[in-house]
Amino acid sequence: MEGLNLVATALAIGLAAIGPGIGIGIIVAGALQAMGRNPEMQNTLVTYMFIGIAFTEALAIFGLLISFMIAFRVIT
Amino acid sequence: MEALGFNLFLFLAQLINFVVVVGLLTYLLYKPVTKMLNDRTQRIEQSLKDAEQVKLQLANAKRDYDAEIAKARQEAAKIVAQAQDRAKTQEAEIITQARREADKVRDEARVSAVQERDALMREAKGKIAELVTMTASQVLAAELKARGHDKLIAESLAALDRRN
Amino acid sequence: MSGRMQALVVVVVMLAVAAASKMFLHSGDPHVEVAAEALFYIAPGFPFTNSLLTMLVVDVVLIGLAFFATRNIQQVPRGLQNIMEMVLEALYNLFRNISPKFIDRAFPLVATIFLYVLISNWSGLVPGATSIGGCVPKEQASAKIAMVQEGANAGSIQYMAAAEYDNPYTSCAPGYALIPFGRPPSTDLNFTFALGIISFLFFQFWGFKTLGIGYLSKFFNLQGIMSFVGIIEFISEIMKPIALALRLFGNVFAGEVLIAIIIFLVPLVVPMPIYGFEIFIGFIQAIVFALLTMAFLSIATTSHDHDDEHHGEAKGHAH
Repeated sequence: MEGLNLVATALAIGLAAIGPGIGIGIIVAGALQAMGRNPEMQNTLVTYMFIGIAFTEALAIFGLLISFMIAFRVIT
Repeated sequence: MEALGFNLFLFLAQLINFVVVVGLLTYLLYKPVTKMLNDRTQRIEQSLKDAEQVKLQLANAKRDYDAEIAKARQEAAKIVAQAQDRAKTQEAEIITQARREADKVRDEARVSAVQERDALMREAKGKIAELVTMTASQVLAAELKARGHDKLIAESLAALDRRN
Repeated sequence: MSGRMQALVVVVVMLAVAAASKMFLHSGDPHVEVAAEALFYIAPGFPFTNSLLTMLVVDVVLIGLAFFATRNIQQVPRGLQNIMEMVLEALYNLFRNISPKFIDRAFPLVATIFLYVLISNWSGLVPGATSIGGCVPKEQASAKIAMVQEGANAGSIQYMAAAEYDNPYTSCAPGYALIPFGRPPSTDLNFTFALGIISFLFFQFWGFKTLGIGYLSKFFNLQGIMSFVGIIEFISEIMKPIALALRLFGNVFAGEVLIAIIIFLVPLVVPMPIYGFEIFIGFIQAIVFALLTMAFLSIATTSHDHDDEHHGEAKGHAH
């Protein structure tokens, strides 16, 4: 059971990080492109970029929390 | 839930604490700072407005001054022109008066000269007549005795008149 | 050349320090606890946790800053007043971009969220804040809340000084867990959920106030396909405060755990860049929490007439 727990912990955060990683890449790429085309909009774009990153990152954070819960036996 | 640390009392404590902090910060920080920022903005705007006003006033003063100067100059020119006009008229008057007076003086002089001449002539005529009479009477007294003397005197006088 | 030599010497010295610290400084297992640890019990079932203690410290710091910044307020700002003014003006301009209509009503709340979360996040990075504490037996440390709620051992946490064990560790002996006296409130789910609920109530209140009863038609709608959309919106609305709370908790707690584990692996030098990164993360999370509150407020007060734009946004928010 100990080994399975470790595997579950690693899988929880590892799988949860894939999607948000790609998503954040796309968000930042889009924001940088927009900034390059329209530098005056930089402040607004950075703000919205961080909001978007926060939404995307939340998914990875959920996975991280699940992995913590498994690792520290909050849920068994 | 307990293993995650959830606890109703802790939750309520954090909730109430945060609401209190919001209230305290609003009272201590946001209100004074916002008020101060507004005051400062207002003051800057006021000073800008004042500066604008002063500039406007200055421009007005300059315009007034210019207008005043121009008016003064105009008036001075008018006065000079008037003075010149008046001087010209006076000059003309003086000249005409002088001419008139000169004419008068000349006329008077002529008149008096004529009168004098006439008076002199008359006097001279009288004297001459006297003299002629005296000489004639003396000559006639010596040559003739009261014969045809009057006719001679008259002829002499007439001849004198004619000569005149 | 000398510049490169200097850099090389610095790198070598730092690596040597790191290696030496690994060899000579022994630490016990990193103690990671999802729940805030109780320091003592005010009443059975009401533990005074280390996050509650840090919360009070954060309160004092924040109110002290506010007090000293505005104690002698002047038209020409100096020192602390100048800094606070700059911070508040920057925040104001940032939040005004999101919702110009509600900025004046929301500013006290979102600015407090930012300042409080920021100081709370950074409080865990103060040296000693999360590493000075007492040692308790591991079973007691992890099961204490459940135990005390049973009423068996109220207020019976045993603290022992690390030195009592005469062990070679700079931390607690094996079998004992360190209960630090400080713990950032953002790593306590009670705090993050309290904040999430406050933010949630705030934007729901303004949503109702601006749109009236029509606000509910966003969620409860009986017009064919729209009823289904309403259910999705309702779920996404319920998820908003949960996502807010978990995002803050997850980020900051993960940062704390990361630092604890890195220090366990290599006590010196290597954690330094992690500290820098955590300062950045703490700032970003504070900004994000406040910005999201503002964004949710802006969404909640937008009428349903702008159907198409709104659904585009709502789908982005449905996690």
